[in-house]
Amino acid sequence: MGRAKLPRKSTNIDMTAMCDVAFLLLSFFILATKQKPPEAVTVMPPTSVSSKAAPEKSIIITLTKEGKCFLILGDETKKKDILKDINTTKGLGLSDQEISKFAKLTFIGMPLGQVKSALALEQMPPADKLLGIPIQDSTNNEMVDWIRSITNVYAGGDQKVLEEMILIKGDNLAKYPAFKNIKYALKKNNLFKFRIVTNSETVPTGSELYIKNKELLDKK
Amino acid sequence: MAAIENHQSHKIKRQISFKKKNTRVDLTPMVDLGFLLITFFVFTTTMNKPTVMKVDMPFDKTTENNPVCNSCALTVLLCNDDVIKYYDGDFSTAQFQSTSYAGIRDVICRKKEFVKRVRGTTDEFVLIIKPTVESSFKNFVDITDEVTINQVKRYYLDEVSSVEQKKL
Repeated sequence: MGRAKLPRKSTNIDMTAMCDVAFLLLSFFILATKQKPPEAVTVMPPTSVSSKAAPEKSIIITLTKEGKCFLILGDETKKKDILKDINTTKGLGLSDQEISKFAKLTFIGMPLGQVKSALALEQMPPADKLLGIPIQDSTNNEMVDWIRSITNVYAGGDQKVLEEMILIKGDNLAKYPAFKNIKYALKKNNLFKFRIVTNSETVPTGSELYIKNKELLDKK
Repeated sequence: MAAIENHQSHKIKRQISFKKKNTRVDLTPMVDLGFLLITFFVFTTTMNKPTVMKVDMPFDKTTENNPVCNSCALTVLLCNDDVIKYYDGDFSTAQFQSTSYAGIRDVICRKKEFVKRVRGTTDEFVLIIKPTVESSFKNFVDITDEVTINQVKRYYLDEVSSVEQKKL
């Protein structure tokens, strides 16, 4: 009996299938991940032990380290109403066409007096060239007007919904007085609760919060 | 003649065999690239999720006056260059001490224990936060975070008074 002759097999493997899988997964991950929310300018927020995720639709007040203030109206459905409201209450004299153009901007970062001239420009200057919304002191605080228009538009709805939407995103190096002026603007419009955007941080071991969280976990 | 024909047929045969090429492409590098991109996307997206911290401010026009026991209060003044100055109880008898943001937790814990010994409960402990104009936004967030970490029930945010400013 002769030994059965094994046919000489090629060691090449067909990579097509594996390639298909790799790119399928790649496209899945790209499509499944959430897009980064729009940013006026990049700021480095401080860290906190809070673990609550930031809501998707939100009104973000950005505070840079130079003390400039920008506003992002994240709720597209109400954006135009807010702009219309501030147009009438502050007498900006914008036409419907200009308001539509205004609504297309991702963020607002100029004094109210400059809105009309800024909209006439072909292209908006970059964020670092903008003046930001003036928040210097209580007499010259246009954030008060912006928040008033926001509360006017959301009036009648649940106050809690609005409170959850208002986020303050400040830079680590931003000065406290600038933040105090934003707080003043919110207070002036009877908004006593708001949220601060932070990066998460682990709860220090052995602290009271750590013990409390552990007890809650043990109960479950 | 025959010789010439023979030569020609041989030429044709050679041409055909030359055209027969392997159409398979080695996809291994492409697979490598695919998986590299996947790992890249997975690692970059899961990190750095922003969270939100809740801040409640008191209603200013409140008429009720909450008396605070003298030994239960701890006042922290957020100063320049990440320095915290703090004092116990009333300002008139106060001795200013300095600490950092890493050291403030111990100060709060010690004070809480002291209040528990004196008053029987930590609920009467009151933390008064006074950020100065030189303090940063990070300082404010850090101290409010410290309130959450140490589970301080009562805390107030106040302005630095002129007498305190003088002593700083």
